[in-house]
Amino acid sequence: MKQELTKIEEVIVKPEEIKESNIQELMDTFFSKLKNRVDNYIGDYPTFIEPVYLEDNVKIGDDVLLGPNVYIGANSEISDYVEISNTIIFDNVKIGENFKLENCIVAKDSSFNFTELNVKKSVLMGVANLKNELQKIGF
Amino acid sequence: MPNKEKLEISRIKEVESTNLARDEIRDEVIETKKAVERDNNLIADKIHQDFLNNSIKSFDIVGAIGAGKTALLEKIVEILTQKYRVLVICGDITTRVDADRIEKHNAETIQINTGRECALNAYHIHQIIKNKNLQNYDVIFIENVGNLICPSEFVLGTDKRITVVSITEGEWVIEKHPMLFKMSDIAVINKIDLKERLGTNVEKMINDAKKFNPEIEVITTSAKTGENMDKLLELLGF
Repeated sequence: MKQELTKIEEVIVKPEEIKESNIQELMDTFFSKLKNRVDNYIGDYPTFIEPVYLEDNVKIGDDVLLGPNVYIGANSEISDYVEISNTIIFDNVKIGENFKLENCIVAKDSSFNFTELNVKKSVLMGVANLKNELQKIGF
Repeated sequence: MPNKEKLEISRIKEVESTNLARDEIRDEVIETKKAVERDNNLIADKIHQDFLNNSIKSFDIVGAIGAGKTALLEKIVEILTQKYRVLVICGDITTRVDADRIEKHNAETIQINTGRECALNAYHIHQIIKNKNLQNYDVIFIENVGNLICPSEFVLGTDKRITVVSITEGEWVIEKHPMLFKMSDIAVINKIDLKERLGTNVEKMINDAKKFNPEIEVITTSAKTGENMDKLLELLGF
């Protein structure tokens, strides 16, 4: 599992190559090996559709739906009313309120400090305090 | 809409009671509730069509905690997996205890932990099946979150809904939950092996189910002894 994560991380550090990469294939392989680990989060009572894998110290808000196929890295924070499926979120990420992410990757240390976003099949990265500041690369 | 009103609507939706809405937002709360029901039905129709297109037999099992839903499923799955490819989706507030029990009988299982939601809805099921190749399955069971109230709000797109009660819940359990029996195809009265000891009026339970829904098939079973499991399988079409 960690091996695929490392490969995916290597791809997304070169944003110009994401479109032409085999990132979808890497994600599919990763999800086929993904186990369930959901009993270690901090927060309210989210809905989990397995497999969902939470690294340590993940904070989850109110009315959140995670899964299937979701990996969330350590120290990441998911705000209220968020829905995430088929998505990899790396460490130290903040997802804003009322985000819907489907088949996405969020790079480590990203922070999205605005509300309402609906994105599919994209890599998201950086710090964005407004929707138009979001760095998003489709694949 | 101001944040305060948004929060209020959200809170009312959570407790699912329009009676709590202030007059100023009552219309919006009612419309939201109708829209949720409409959307659920649309998704359920799509799920059912997907199941039919792949020649999958599908069943939604509801019942109170401890009625014996999982025990019955263990018996059913143990038999069916000898011949069919079976997927069981298990709904629970938390844990994957039921899924682990069923998985021992060679069925593939997927757990949904609903957190504080008291029933599965069609969206949950759709999220799962859109990630699955349905050609890999012959039969799908969905074991709903254990209770006899909330599941009546949401259809899930299966061929049949089976409601399981046990005689340990008392002979009034069906009379007190008319909605669920009105929308079920099969009523299973489980733990019949305890009838002598408990003295429960099982005939009243059968009559109550038939009174609410004359079309409903009623069967008494014991998942423990295996009594009438063959008849239950027959009702399911196997």
